[in-house]
Amino acid sequence: MKKLLMVMALFLVALVTVGCSGKGPLTIWVGSESEAFYTQKMEEYKALYLEEKGEEFPHDIRVVGVDTGTAAGTFLDDSDAGADIFTAAHDNLGKLIAGASAVAPVQNQALLAQIQNDNPETFLQVIKGTVGGTEYTFAVPYVAQALVLYYNKQFITETQAQTWEGILEAAVANNKQALSLAGTDGFNNSFILLATEAETGNTSLRLYENGIQENTYGTGDDTIAKLKWGQYFFTHANGARRPSDSGWEVELKNEISIAFIGGAWHFSAAKAALGDDLAITILPTFELIDGYGEVEAGTVFQSGTFADTKAFFMKKNSRYAEYLEDILLFLTSKDVQEESFVAAQNLPAYKNAADEFAAFQENTLEAKLAAAQVRMFEFGIPQPFGFQTRYNTYYYSKGTPDLILEILENNGGNFGTDAQILAQMQIVETIWKTGNRPA
Amino acid sequence: MEQKIEKEDKKSGFLTRLLTFFKTLGLTIKTRCLKFYNRFKEGSTGTKLSHVIMGSGNIYHKQYLKGFVYLILQVGFFALFIISPEVNGTPLGLKSIVNFFTLGTEPGDIFNPADNSMLMLLFGVIVFGLIGMFLAAYNSNIKSSLKADNDIKAGKKPTSLKEDIASLLDERFHVALLTPAIIGIITFTVLPTIFMILIAFTNFDSEHQGQVLFNWVGFANFLDIFSGTGEISVRFLPVLSWTLIWAFFATSTNYIGGILLAILINKKGVKLKKMWRTIFILTIALPQFISLLAMRNLLSTYGPINSTLMSLGLTDAPIQFLANAANPWTARITIIVINIWIGVPYTMLMTSGILMNVPSELYEAAQIDGATKRQAFFNITIPYILFITTPYLITSFIGNITSFNVIYLLTGGAPGVPGYKAGETDLLVTWLYKLTIDESEYNIGSVIAIITFIITATATLLSYRRSKAYKEEDAFQ
Amino acid sequence: MINTNVSIAKKPKKFKSAKASRNISLVLSYLTLVVLTIIWLYPILWIILSSLRVEYNNAGDLIGIVVSHYIPKGFGFDNFVNLFTNTLFPRWFLNTLLVSSVTFVLSTLLTLSVAYVMSKLKFSARKKFLNIAIILGLFPGFMSMIAIYYILKALQLTQTLFALMLVYSAGAGLGFYVAKGFFDIIPNSLLESARLDGATNSQIFAKIVLPLSKPIIIYTALLAFIGPWMDFIFARVILGETNRELHTVAVGLYYMVYGERVDSNVFTLFAAGCVVVAIPIVTLFLSMQRYYIEGVTAGAVKG
Repeated sequence: MKKLLMVMALFLVALVTVGCSGKGPLTIWVGSESEAFYTQKMEEYKALYLEEKGEEFPHDIRVVGVDTGTAAGTFLDDSDAGADIFTAAHDNLGKLIAGASAVAPVQNQALLAQIQNDNPETFLQVIKGTVGGTEYTFAVPYVAQALVLYYNKQFITETQAQTWEGILEAAVANNKQALSLAGTDGFNNSFILLATEAETGNTSLRLYENGIQENTYGTGDDTIAKLKWGQYFFTHANGARRPSDSGWEVELKNEISIAFIGGAWHFSAAKAALGDDLAITILPTFELIDGYGEVEAGTVFQSGTFADTKAFFMKKNSRYAEYLEDILLFLTSKDVQEESFVAAQNLPAYKNAADEFAAFQENTLEAKLAAAQVRMFEFGIPQPFGFQTRYNTYYYSKGTPDLILEILENNGGNFGTDAQILAQMQIVETIWKTGNRPA
Repeated sequence: MEQKIEKEDKKSGFLTRLLTFFKTLGLTIKTRCLKFYNRFKEGSTGTKLSHVIMGSGNIYHKQYLKGFVYLILQVGFFALFIISPEVNGTPLGLKSIVNFFTLGTEPGDIFNPADNSMLMLLFGVIVFGLIGMFLAAYNSNIKSSLKADNDIKAGKKPTSLKEDIASLLDERFHVALLTPAIIGIITFTVLPTIFMILIAFTNFDSEHQGQVLFNWVGFANFLDIFSGTGEISVRFLPVLSWTLIWAFFATSTNYIGGILLAILINKKGVKLKKMWRTIFILTIALPQFISLLAMRNLLSTYGPINSTLMSLGLTDAPIQFLANAANPWTARITIIVINIWIGVPYTMLMTSGILMNVPSELYEAAQIDGATKRQAFFNITIPYILFITTPYLITSFIGNITSFNVIYLLTGGAPGVPGYKAGETDLLVTWLYKLTIDESEYNIGSVIAIITFIITATATLLSYRRSKAYKEEDAFQ
Repeated sequence: MINTNVSIAKKPKKFKSAKASRNISLVLSYLTLVVLTIIWLYPILWIILSSLRVEYNNAGDLIGIVVSHYIPKGFGFDNFVNLFTNTLFPRWFLNTLLVSSVTFVLSTLLTLSVAYVMSKLKFSARKKFLNIAIILGLFPGFMSMIAIYYILKALQLTQTLFALMLVYSAGAGLGFYVAKGFFDIIPNSLLESARLDGATNSQIFAKIVLPLSKPIIIYTALLAFIGPWMDFIFARVILGETNRELHTVAVGLYYMVYGERVDSNVFTLFAAGCVVVAIPIVTLFLSMQRYYIEGVTAGAVKG
């Protein structure tokens, strides 16, 4: 009888399973900071739909705020339960289209044309991917982001903030720490690695250019020279430091450090930490103290950044597939992007935003943040992404950020010579290319 | 946390058990087959029929409801198997058995989904479970009919529905009480556990999920521990040894601290015992994510504790209690100390109870021998507490091996080890959590879980041996 | 220095010095207790102070990050007001209350049923069940979380509070040890005599055993009720990160301060949330502490 009851219950469960099939509304995931904005936009969209088609939009629409950093991972963990349209940074493309792809390609010609016309050149490359031998466009950029310099203007003058030398000078004069990093991953110390020669804009660094794994180069003379300067900066008594477990915001607030490299998402905490003393500008330049190989001492480099875009992706085999592209056409239009900047400080992924958008011209800290980001795009490259793995290829994984940090901090005094730095970068380059350390 | 086992179970070790298991298995199969045949031969027409159509025996004996339930079960089971309906896009039924072995063959393309290896594996396990249960139901259907046969032979009427229900409330009350619990345990504990053990033999990792198929790989993941350059082989021994060191110190500091605190509070002459006790119970009542996150922020490099130490002139530079990458022992010792804050109240409560219940005969005997208070304390109280709490000591050691919150909330494994997910303070369980939840390396996570199980199972086995040895001494001398 | 609480009738010879030394040792005991109390209450006090901290910087922004001083420069309930008006905290609180109310009823029923069966009823599979229960208990719980998620999904239950109740309660059958230890003490003779009077097993359970078991019922129910308020692991996976309106307090507060790109200016808000959660839980716990202590002692000592 016991067994009988058990089996009965299990069958009941099986029957319920087969019998039910839940139907949810059309769901859109956006960054939590702009949930209210996009909820309102979708109401407007429904009104427009009624106007154009002469009938109500036939389904419920639900806009949900999520952590954009993890949304793609959440989507992949259970894509059935995932949103029909969701936001993610472009560097998630690789994992999203792995295998048979979990996201649908863009096919609507109008939408493809809008993407082509509105987006900066840098973004057009990173929203495409190859599945089953064919290249498709998978994402629709709508927000851009780049790193900028936040600094405490009590200690650093506007002129000093233009060069790391000036900031270091201010740090020495006040006996503070020049710079706090936000974290230890490869994102946060990328300003050195990605720096370009100020005069020519050149760099020999290649990170998976055009999405090709082999198209990677990290051992050029200028790269080694930049890292040597980086080591000087990070080992200087008042130089840059990785963040303590208190976090960069506490270090800024307690005036332990006087500058910080961050993105738009750090703005609120930076503002709370520094109040009126907060100033924002583009990342500074630095001048080599030592040369290396072909690169001479005294060469000036402009700090670089990853120029990223947050983009909308569509669920593969969505029940609402027929409506999604039209919604995206609306949500990523120039007008909505500009409104989104005003309402939620989302930096537009629109190529002429700095000139065309009125909101950029205002004299607020927010406008400065936006302007600084837009200017940083001149010195930025998109974050790399991979086709096969959950990671952004191997830029962030397999310990490479740590290996680079080891050079910068000259851990254990093991990276004091040019040869040692080069040897470490050769290891890094091999991992970038293959995912494994050299034998 | 408290695991206890019945006395009668402790006699044989695993090995002997295994041997006897195989021996009896052979015998059982033989007798079972014979029994089955005899049952068929001796049964009534109804019973014979019930070998083919479930429930017919009961219907034959006019136990209609029971009979129809069996019949529905059979029809439902076969229907499910033959139709193999798609659940979340993956068939559940006969096809699941094939899928269980292939784990999917369709790689999909841009418009069509790939097979879902994960659901195929899961449904395979479910289907095997269902088959097992169906066989059990099949057997019970025959038995039930046979019982009715025998009742008739003995001149009784076959039991009615009413009697069946009544028996569920009396002689078969355990069935009624256990069934809901067992259903819950099978669905949400046994099934997932078996599934995750199987995952350890696949390549279900961050590169084989979503729209990418995964497959069986045998023992490759286990061999990776011993060879290879992956995270599991490099970090396994360091994490394992720290887990054991942590468990040892966490257990012993809490144990000693708890006993001392209990003695202090229960000391004769100390007033307001209840108030003191309540203060320490606060720690148990407060959710750990609150208290530990508070601790983490208090101890951070530029946090309040460091600022106090510095303003008192006790240190010039802030101490990196939890994040000193140069010396992982700073963080480790800090964690063990904070764990005292978390764990001591629990031991204190337990020992308080024991302290108040030391058999007075023991003291009377000591008094007759002319012992002083101090002697009585060290020769009676302490040994008595030790004796009583030995099983607790071992279960708490096991508990500490799998203690998650303290490490996860306090350091998250920091200070980190360059190049690897497992930091200097990560335990096996927090490592497992990071690998599965954060990194989607399910196969490696499963391997670690299995190893954790082996360790805790060994400790448990030892503990039962030990507690048995103690019990056989009969009484504390 | 340390003495026992056990009275020994015959006093030692050295009266005077004994009395003096006992006083000294008492003073020392109180001193130690006071010091320990400060250490134990220190983090709790700090959280409370943080939750009441209302400090603005020179630009008029609320400073929500961790600061290095203890006594706030400004006190107020702004964090609490923000918590209830600008976050989903009220929803989380109600969700948790709902989940824990259902969970504690279901869990208690399951735990007590299994414990009673294991303690007082004899049947063939009993030993097997005990062994399996012990083995299952040794696997790290969250190892199988992913599988549980997909089982719930196959049942069309994921991302609902009901699923969470189910998961919290379903395992309760395995946590029967403490209650079993308690039932073991109830003399079998009591049950035997009832049986002779013609009582069925279910009547014995309902009319004799349960009324005698108030402490253990309360202990089991208390732990089951508090569990959902503390768990942030299972709830996170089962409810899904994106369904913020479904979260429980622990998950909601966890996501407030964790995450890659979280706004770190919310520590005081988080502290306020902690205080709101802690007050009912701690009050409940302390008012029931007698039963909790009884359960702990019974569970740990009875072999």
